[in-house]
Amino acid sequence: MNIKYFLFILSGLFAFSACDLEQEVDIELPEFEQAIALECYLEPGKPFRLLMTQADPFFAPLPALDEQFLSMLLVDSAEVTITYEGETIALRNQFSLDPGQIKFFNYVANEIVPEAYGTSFELNVVTKEGETIFASTTLLEPVPIDSVVIEPDDEIRNDTLFYRALTYFTDRPNEANFYRRMLHVSSLDSLPEQDFVTDDRIVEDRVVFGSSYEFIAGDTIINTLFHIDENYYNYLESAQNAISGNFNPFGQPSPIISNLEGSAKAIGVFTGLTYDRITKIVPE
Amino acid sequence: MGLPFWLFSQDNVTLSGTISEAETGETLIGATILVEELNLGTSTNEYGFFSLSVPKGKKLTVIYSYVGFNSISRDVTLQQDEQIDIELSSGVNLDEVVVKANSFEEQLRSTEMSVEEISTKEAKLVPVIFGESDILKTIQLKPGIPSGSEGTTGLFVRGGGSDQNLIVLDEAVVYNANHLFGFFSTFNTDAVKDLKIYKGGFPAQYGGRLSSVIDVKLKEGNSKKFAGSGGIGLISSRLTLEGPIQEDKSSFMVSGRRTYVDIFTRLANDANEGNEDFTPIPDYYFYDLNTKINFKFGEKDRLFLSGYFGRDVFGFSNDFFNFDFDWGNATGTARWNHIFNSKLFANTTFTYSDYQYNIENRITGFSFKVGSNIQDATLKTDFYYAINNKNTIRFGATATYHQFTVGRLQAGSTDGDIQFSAGQDFDGIQAGAYVSDEITFSPRFKANVGLRLSGFFNDGSNYFGLEPRAALNYTLNPRVSFKASYAKMYQYLHLVANSGIALPTDIWYPSTENVKPQASDQFAIGGSYLLNRSLFFNIEAYYKLLDNQIEFVDGAQLFANDNLEQEFAIGKGRSYGLEFSIEKKEGALTGWIGYTLSWTRRGDFTLLDDNQFFEQSRYGDFAPIYDRRHDISVVAIYEINRRLTATATFVYGSGDLRWLPNGRYTFQDIYGQRLNPVVPVYEDRNNFRLPAYHRLDLGLVIKFFPKWGESDLTINIINAYDRRNTFFIYLEPETVTDPLTNIELPTRIVANQVSLFPILPSLTWNFKF
Repeated sequence: MNIKYFLFILSGLFAFSACDLEQEVDIELPEFEQAIALECYLEPGKPFRLLMTQADPFFAPLPALDEQFLSMLLVDSAEVTITYEGETIALRNQFSLDPGQIKFFNYVANEIVPEAYGTSFELNVVTKEGETIFASTTLLEPVPIDSVVIEPDDEIRNDTLFYRALTYFTDRPNEANFYRRMLHVSSLDSLPEQDFVTDDRIVEDRVVFGSSYEFIAGDTIINTLFHIDENYYNYLESAQNAISGNFNPFGQPSPIISNLEGSAKAIGVFTGLTYDRITKIVPE
Repeated sequence: MGLPFWLFSQDNVTLSGTISEAETGETLIGATILVEELNLGTSTNEYGFFSLSVPKGKKLTVIYSYVGFNSISRDVTLQQDEQIDIELSSGVNLDEVVVKANSFEEQLRSTEMSVEEISTKEAKLVPVIFGESDILKTIQLKPGIPSGSEGTTGLFVRGGGSDQNLIVLDEAVVYNANHLFGFFSTFNTDAVKDLKIYKGGFPAQYGGRLSSVIDVKLKEGNSKKFAGSGGIGLISSRLTLEGPIQEDKSSFMVSGRRTYVDIFTRLANDANEGNEDFTPIPDYYFYDLNTKINFKFGEKDRLFLSGYFGRDVFGFSNDFFNFDFDWGNATGTARWNHIFNSKLFANTTFTYSDYQYNIENRITGFSFKVGSNIQDATLKTDFYYAINNKNTIRFGATATYHQFTVGRLQAGSTDGDIQFSAGQDFDGIQAGAYVSDEITFSPRFKANVGLRLSGFFNDGSNYFGLEPRAALNYTLNPRVSFKASYAKMYQYLHLVANSGIALPTDIWYPSTENVKPQASDQFAIGGSYLLNRSLFFNIEAYYKLLDNQIEFVDGAQLFANDNLEQEFAIGKGRSYGLEFSIEKKEGALTGWIGYTLSWTRRGDFTLLDDNQFFEQSRYGDFAPIYDRRHDISVVAIYEINRRLTATATFVYGSGDLRWLPNGRYTFQDIYGQRLNPVVPVYEDRNNFRLPAYHRLDLGLVIKFFPKWGESDLTINIINAYDRRNTFFIYLEPETVTDPLTNIELPTRIVANQVSLFPILPSLTWNFKF
């Protein structure tokens, strides 16, 4: 047996084995019955507004950016009302773009969401097919940020001194609280440097959210602490699990956890959006 | 058929003893003892001990035999009880410790069913990934144990979960039998003497898991002469040394192995230091160490001390953070065998088991530590009492003290200003007592009936379980037998795992007030047909009912959770199937063909916390990912000549199931976040069956016979025809950027399949002296 001969074959096989291990495949997914996706955030000081879109089978054709785009995406002709403190606000079916936030809505009202913390709001939707969606939520009082500390690194890297931001707040005792933390640099329009949700199961009293050493002198750091309800927390967590479960073989996928009820098949969230925000500029 | 008079005769005496291997002194498990004149036989138990009642004063010819060894025939005339220890020789060609299954004849007659055994010799020949022979991986090629799934490394025996396997190494529980996320097992084949797996028909001495018992015994160490074995492979090397401390009275065995990929990755990292285009490769290695010493104190007492220690170590660091992750098992066993008299044998064992994982991450200014741990201390004693040739009683008791640390978390700033912590500590006692009787009603009809009483006590939650066991064998003729069995099992520990992939971070969780013990009822019937001395057919059908099965609620939080139970949904399960095998053990061509047809379902879930969500309850029952309809394995070992052995393994399995999203929607979110037009919507769990899995592995063993011993070059080609089997599938939108608005829009959705293994050749040099 000539060992050199074997080694030659083996080296060839090694080279052959360096093939691509990822490839596109044709698969057929189980059927998906079309559904409504709904997002409605009640932000004090902003108008009542709502986005209602269509949830499709995964491989359904995607809308192109043309005149058909909105008609393929949006679910129109529904009757939408929001009721609170005995008053009913009717949202008209009208496309609306908030240019400051680059967000669009297809049901809007002129009325402004009041700063009515502790008040219950109820959403009622009747689709053009006569199916119903309803949900309720309560505006939570913001939890204040105690302080934001800008702290320099111990060492200079690449001739630059980097800073981090430490955002301190005090968790409310004896109640279950949920938070969404966002940290933007320069503008709220930009993608956040940090965006996550957490509950207060493992935190007590004083809590800190920290960044890594990534900021330099002159940066504007916008720290936002949303005090969110459990429904919104579950919705965001489940959406994140659904996204990561698709790409991560170790992940645990999740159905979208909605707080929408009624006869229509609907996913989404109806919730309040209250927050405290502190903006800091990293000193020169 | 009436029983021979001597079965009950008062003038009987007892022939007992142990049977061991002449070359090494290793006791032989399942060696047969046949008294020709009486057509009477028995076999050695798991400690090499046997006991047989024979007529007093009658001249008898006793044949001692074991597959692969030269039989010995002895004429005896016993006037009183006598202990005769026998050594069998494997012949001129000193081979590996050949521990094959009982002879086919013995299998045919035995009440044991649903049992698979594999020899270390077979395990060393069967081609395996990177040439690392692995006895636990090889036994997965037997029917009833789905094998060869890309990246799904848990053992799912007869539709059971990956936590439902009792894996014991020298009687100490091994909680995580995996290295490198399950691609290798913790068992170093060089150090293993015997591996046996029960898939059903569990004898009463076993308890604590629902779906299988995997009993691994370490070599005792050569008590005749100093010997060694080892190997150098692509990713690891190993060395085993054994020998007498005092010839025929005491011996030792020490075995270790370590991977060394990290040495090369560190060199690559050092060579690229300062290269911004180079992404440093994380450090990874594993090692394990087995030791065993045993002492004979006279003819009646033996003491064994054995231990295992293994760790996987993963580390990664850069300018900003240091990440360290290690996990592993430690076990220790002290075992005392005592022969009270020719009928009564006792084995008393103290074992210690520890499994833990630790993750530490230090980011500038912050540190994060998380870990879990389970520790057991067990005392058990087992008696083997051969009353007469009609009844062999086994009885015993066991008690285990468990300590659990679940999800220990410490996090905070390094200056101590801010600190978080989480985690739960539990302790509990698990106890069991059993009795069983192997009854020979007639030479054709045998039964093994037993009863186990088990219990678990944890902080005021007390559970008891009565576990009847029964196994019947009817031997129609010397070639055909029929078997049936029933086993009730309770399991008081649960593995909190969120995927089919064996992760070291999976957490062991005890039964509590809310989390009831798992339970199962398994029925099996089967038949065996001995075509000739070397060809054996076996067929078995099983039906298994499972209770208190854990699934996770939607969006379950498994880390940093002080109340893990609220994430559980508790349900029922069932599985049923048919297993068929043909096995050939003698001749130039040996091996087996196994086929399994099976169904597995889970359902009837209820939540422990009503505020949680379990969308699946809207859709009803579902199949776990390992619900595999067809599973075929073919193993062929062909000894071409004394120097060359060729091997081939082929596996085929219906694709495993995966939970894929079948819908999508647009999520705009709030300001700052970009609109996501393709958020997956998951509905029915495990709703998609992956393409069928199949793979051919080839091997060639070239033996050399130098003066100092024996060596071989083992060449393996895994996945010989370069099949791309599916590890996972993900769905991804292809996007284009609109030139006018600069908005990135999805144009179509594509499904991408990721595979783990292309064709993989490997080369290993093995030696022994």
